[in-house]
Amino acid sequence: MNNDVIIKVEGVSVSFWQNNVGVYSLKDLLIKRKSPFKSKRILNDINIEIRRGQSMGIVGRNGSGKSTLLRTIAGIIKPEKGTITVNGTFAPILALGAGLELELTGYENIAMLLALYGTSNGRNDAIKRISEFSELSDEVLRMPVKQYSSGMAARLAFSVSLANDSDILIIDEVLAVGDQGFQAKCMQTIYDIKRQGKTILFVSHFPDDVMKICDTAILLEDGFMTHHGPAGQICDNYRQLF
Amino acid sequence: MQNINRIYALSKRNVILRYKNSIAGFLWGFIKPLLYLLIFIVIFGNNSGINNYVLYVTSGLVFWFFFANSTSQSVGSIVGSAGLLKALDIPSQFFPLSEILGELFNFFLTIIMFLILMNWAGLVYDARLLLVFPCIFLFSVFVYGLNLLLSAINVFFRDVGIIWGTIQPALFFLTPIAYPESNPKHEYRVFIENNPIYFFIKLGRSIFYNTEPPPMHLWVTCSIISLVMFSVGYFVFNRLKNQFISAI
Repeated sequence: MNNDVIIKVEGVSVSFWQNNVGVYSLKDLLIKRKSPFKSKRILNDINIEIRRGQSMGIVGRNGSGKSTLLRTIAGIIKPEKGTITVNGTFAPILALGAGLELELTGYENIAMLLALYGTSNGRNDAIKRISEFSELSDEVLRMPVKQYSSGMAARLAFSVSLANDSDILIIDEVLAVGDQGFQAKCMQTIYDIKRQGKTILFVSHFPDDVMKICDTAILLEDGFMTHHGPAGQICDNYRQLF
Repeated sequence: MQNINRIYALSKRNVILRYKNSIAGFLWGFIKPLLYLLIFIVIFGNNSGINNYVLYVTSGLVFWFFFANSTSQSVGSIVGSAGLLKALDIPSQFFPLSEILGELFNFFLTIIMFLILMNWAGLVYDARLLLVFPCIFLFSVFVYGLNLLLSAINVFFRDVGIIWGTIQPALFFLTPIAYPESNPKHEYRVFIENNPIYFFIKLGRSIFYNTEPPPMHLWVTCSIISLVMFSVGYFVFNRLKNQFISAI
């Protein structure tokens, strides 16, 4: 394998168990021995190759398998078929509210998430950077996260995730809730991260953002990768869906 | 090392969350069994036929509450950690494990206070009390196995979490905590003697209540029960864990 390839996805298919419609009673379950679950294909034969420093966008309608693909690449979901080879470390997936414990305060969340993400050295430094980047005041960070607005929670999650010094950043449509100022700042940060030579996987419903950040992109339709190529071209394909 | 940090962070979260926003805080771990004790003294106290009833009941209650608290916390531990499990490649068994570790912390806090109460009730402090460590270790292995099983099945059938709230009190009354172990008239003896928790309570009680240390065969029985429960839980959990993400 070429050393420059940081993520290689070969022939990956993913299936989930879904509740089997029609198995309603204990009689069906125990006597007729019907399975309460059936397997449903979410992703079909996906092949992707991403080079170090390259950024890839993933676009598609709701439910086309974008988040599942991200989680499979990050190792959170095990593929049914195919292999995934990764030559780097992941930052936790950035998604709305990801991993924040609502009852805990901002500071308690930061401490817990840093430990879970594996950032133990330079912890105080990281906490300082996080609070600065998130622009949340000391007073806010002492409040339980359940009292945050969704934008504030997104700021916190985004800032914690960025404090992690890993090779690959995965962003799952998280920027939409921040206010304009923070959105612009995040886009700028993502752009800076990209220029540092890191790899970004980016899911968004905004083709403009995808074109700004990504070199290449793929279009998912019902679990199939129907198009892949330069970001601009794929975004055109995506617009044609509607 | 990283995994130890992660388990520690999750356990710490559980300890903080347990009594968040409550005034008495971790004192509840002490007050709850105490209230049970008072109720039992009022109902059974005078005609239980048990020598030193207070010591008898407390020695069972501390272990029972360790069991009851950690199972009811763990049942929903996978479902409740959806946010983290979907964002991070983290072994899912860390969640039931950290629930147990958080509860162990509470157990030791509680037992310190109960040692004072038990001393007042006639317990003599001696080296035998150190046997509580191997005892709670064996019990934890058993409870961890059970928690793996319950939390995994609860992902697909949320009925487990609901029904567990009913099974637990039934188990409580099938375990001789408030009544004597050797009640020959008892028609439910067969259930009691096949109730795995009975053996752990008996083990714990022989440390705090009996004058003799626990017999060897009791240690062996408890070890076997723990290993079997752990193996079953581990096996089921591993069979199901790849499908957790889609169901939570």
